[in-house]
Amino acid sequence: MKNFKNYLYILAASVLFAACKPVITTPTATSGSANFTRYIAVGNSLTAGYADGGLYLAGQLNSYPSIIAQQMQIVGAGSFTQPLFSPSQASGTGYQKLTGFDASGNPQLTAVAATAVRGTITLPGLGTIPLFTKYTGALENYGVPGIKLNDIDNPAYGNGNPYYERLLPGNSPTNTTQYLDFITAQPFTFFTNWLGNNDALAYATSGGAGDVLTDVGTFSSKYTTLISRLTANGQKGACATIPDVTTIPYFNTVTYAAILAGVQKSIPSIQNIYILAADPIGTNYAYRPATASDLFVLTFPTSLIGSTTAGVGTYPYGLDPRNPIESKYVLDANEIALVRSHVASFNNTIKSVASSKGLAVFDAFTFLSNIKANGYLINGLSLNSNYISGGIFSLDGVHLTPRGYAIVANQFITAINNQYGSNIPLANVSAYNGVMFP
Amino acid sequence: MRKLLLLALVVLPFLGMSQGFQVNLHGEKQIGMGHTGTGLLQDGASVLFNPGAVAMLPENYIQGGINPLFFESSFLAAGSSQQENTSNQVATPFNIYGVWGPKHSNLKFGMGIYTPFGGLTNWGNTWSGKYVLESLNLKAIYFQPTISYKLCDAISVGAGFVYDYGSVDLTQAIPLANSNGQDGQAELKGSGHGTGYNVGVFIKASSKLTFGIDYRSQVTTTISNAPATFTVPASLATSFPSPNTFTSSIPLPATSSLGIGYSPSKDWTVAFDFNWVMWSVYKTLEFDYGTTTPALQNTVSARNYQDAYDFRAGAQYQADAKTFIRFGGGYATTAVKDGYVTPEAPDANRVYGTVGIGIKAMKNLDIDAAFEFEHLMSRTQTNLQSNLSGTFQTNVYIPGVSLAYHW
Repeated sequence: MKNFKNYLYILAASVLFAACKPVITTPTATSGSANFTRYIAVGNSLTAGYADGGLYLAGQLNSYPSIIAQQMQIVGAGSFTQPLFSPSQASGTGYQKLTGFDASGNPQLTAVAATAVRGTITLPGLGTIPLFTKYTGALENYGVPGIKLNDIDNPAYGNGNPYYERLLPGNSPTNTTQYLDFITAQPFTFFTNWLGNNDALAYATSGGAGDVLTDVGTFSSKYTTLISRLTANGQKGACATIPDVTTIPYFNTVTYAAILAGVQKSIPSIQNIYILAADPIGTNYAYRPATASDLFVLTFPTSLIGSTTAGVGTYPYGLDPRNPIESKYVLDANEIALVRSHVASFNNTIKSVASSKGLAVFDAFTFLSNIKANGYLINGLSLNSNYISGGIFSLDGVHLTPRGYAIVANQFITAINNQYGSNIPLANVSAYNGVMFP
Repeated sequence: MRKLLLLALVVLPFLGMSQGFQVNLHGEKQIGMGHTGTGLLQDGASVLFNPGAVAMLPENYIQGGINPLFFESSFLAAGSSQQENTSNQVATPFNIYGVWGPKHSNLKFGMGIYTPFGGLTNWGNTWSGKYVLESLNLKAIYFQPTISYKLCDAISVGAGFVYDYGSVDLTQAIPLANSNGQDGQAELKGSGHGTGYNVGVFIKASSKLTFGIDYRSQVTTTISNAPATFTVPASLATSFPSPNTFTSSIPLPATSSLGIGYSPSKDWTVAFDFNWVMWSVYKTLEFDYGTTTPALQNTVSARNYQDAYDFRAGAQYQADAKTFIRFGGGYATTAVKDGYVTPEAPDANRVYGTVGIGIKAMKNLDIDAAFEFEHLMSRTQTNLQSNLSGTFQTNVYIPGVSLAYHW
C-alpha cells in the first residue's frame, strides 16, 4: 500500500505527458543552389494578380508571386513588395463581381467602379486611356497586365499601358523606359518569368479580330534577349510555358451546342449558326456555318442572335449567311490552329532558352491542359476548368482565383525545388478561396 | 442563354465515420493488463469480454469505469512545413457492468453498458483537409443483457443480446465561398440504433489455466432521416436545401476473441488475447439525403477495409493482500488499406502499453486505475478519393479509473 502514492505520481506524470502533440519531422529548410535574397517576378496580368476583369487589391494580395515569396521566406528569402493599391483605393482599376443568378441559373455580374484612376490621356492610335494612381516605393512584383513579350524593348510602352505607366516615375506620354531596363535596374538574385501569354492570348480573346499574333522568330529573339538580361549576373530563376488558350473557360462556356440549342428552343427549324470565319492563314474571312470546333468568347451577347439591327443589319444576325456572327466573337477553327501552332513554337523557345541557362520550367501548357481534360483533385477539393463552378478561373474566364493562383504558385515552387535542390514548402491550397458567391 | 455548367457544383465528398474506431476500454483491470480478459475471471467486465465466463465469477458485481481519452493527431501535408494538429478534446468512453446470480446456482445474469466504438476528432475549420473533415463526434453505446450458465466445473457458456445506440455529429467545409471568402459548412447530426449479440465459452482447464472464446457479432447501425444542415452563400441556397435529412448505415464489425489465462504462482497471473476484427464487411459508406439537387447528390464512398488483428498480453502481480500491479501491451494491425486513410481517425498499425493498479479499498470494494499510451505508426498517404496527401501521426493517452462493488 505504501507504494500506492508512487504509482499515483507515475499516473499523474503520464497524464501531463498527454499534452504533448506528436511531432512529424520536416527536412531542414534550404534554398539549395539558388539564392532567394531578392526575388523578382516578371510577367503580365497573371503575375500582377489580375482577376475578375481588373487589377484590385484583393487580387494583388493573392498573386502567385506573392504566394511563392511567402513560402520562399520560410527557407530564408528576403522581403517581397508588390505595387499594391492603397486600402482606400482597394477596387483599383475596377472589376466584376458576382451578384446573383437569374432564373435560368446564369450568373449576373456587376461592375465595381475603379477608385485608383487619376485621370485620362488621349494618345494617337490608342485613343483615350485611363491613368492610374502612381505607385512608388520598393518593387519586386513587376507584373504588368497586357504586356506582351513583344513589348519588352519598346521605349514608348510606358505611355500606352496604364498598368506600366503607374509603376514609372514619369507621366505619359513622356516615358522612355523599356520594360527590360525597368525590371533589371535593381540587383536581384532570383526571378520568375511568365511572359508570352499575351503574344497569343490577345489575338485569341479578340476572336482573331482585334490583335495580332507575335511572329515566332521575333518571339524567339526577344525571349533570348530577356533571359540573357535576367541571367546576366548569374541569377537563377524559373520560367513558365504558355497555356493552350482553348483550355480557358473564356472559350468554353458559351458553346456552339448551347447557342444552337437556345435558338432551336424558339425556332426549331434552325439548323445552322453562321459565323464569319478565317481562311487557313487567317487573312481572308468568309461566312460559313459554325461547328463545335469554333469557340465563342465568354462575352458574346447571345441576345444579338436573330437581331436585324446587329452586325450588318437587315438579316437575322447569325441565322442568315448574309449577316454572320462577327469575327470578334468567334475564335474559329482556323484561328485556333494558328494560335496553337504559334503557342507550340513559343513554348519550344521557352523550354530551350530556359534549359540553355539551367533554369527551372513550370510547364503551364501541360498542366492546364491536364486540368481541362481531367480536373484537379487536391485536399478533397474537386476543381476543374469550368466557368465559376470550376474554382480555378475567376469571373473573367481568363485569370485565376486566389485558389487558382495558389495552385500555380505550388507548381512554380515544385519546379524550383526540383531544379535547384531547395525545399520551399508548398502553400496550403485550401486556405485560398475560389469564386466568391453572394 | 449563356449556359453555365453550374450543375454538379459540388458533390460533397463525405468521408467515413467508422475506421479504426474500435475503442477497447472495457474494464480497468483488463486495460491494466493490456486489454486481456477473454480467458480470465476478473470481474463484471466478463459480460463484454466473455459472457461465458460470467457464470464462473465467484461473486456478484456492480461496477463502473470511465476513461477520458486524449486523442492527439497531427498531419503534415505533402510538401508543406506546417504541421496541423487536432484540438484538445477529451472523449469519455465508459463501462458499467452488473452481474448477479443466486448463491450456489449455475446460472448468472449480467448487464453491460459500454462503448466499443467511437471517435472524437476536431481538426478545426482552417486546416488543409477541411473539405474532407472538420470535426467528428461518433459514439456507439451498447446495452447488453446477458445470461450465463455453468455446464460443469470446467465449462461455462453465456450469451448476450446487444442493442446499440449510435450517434454522429460530423462537420465539413463546403468549398463555396461567400462574399467574405468564408467557406460553406455542412453538418450531419443524428442518432440511430442496431442490434447484435455476444456469445462466449469459458474453460477452466485447471486451477492455473483458463481459456476463453468469444464472438461479438456485427452490429449494423442505421441512422435514418437525421438532420443535415448546410450553410452556403444565399445565392446557392436552393442547391443545398436546408434543413435537410440524411440516412446512412455503418456496419460495426464482428470481433472474435481467443484468450488464455495462466497463474504460474500465487502472486502472478498472465494473460494473452487474440482478437480478429472483421472490418472487411465495410466496403462502402453511403449517404442518402432527404432532398437531393444537382449539386447535392447521394454519395457512395469506397472504404474496402480489411480485417484487423490485435495481439495482446498482460500480467498482474499481487504486491500485498490489497494491492495489485498490472502491466501489458499489444500490437494491432490497421483495418485501413493504403489509399483509404482519412482524417476522422487516421488509422495505422498501432502499439500500446498499459499500466494499472488495483486496490481492495474495502472488503467489497475494488478501486482500479490504469493508464494507456497508444502510438499509431506514422503513415504517409494520398487518399484515393480526396487526394489529401501527407503524413498522419497519432498518439492516444488514456487514463482511467473504476469502482467495483462485489458481494
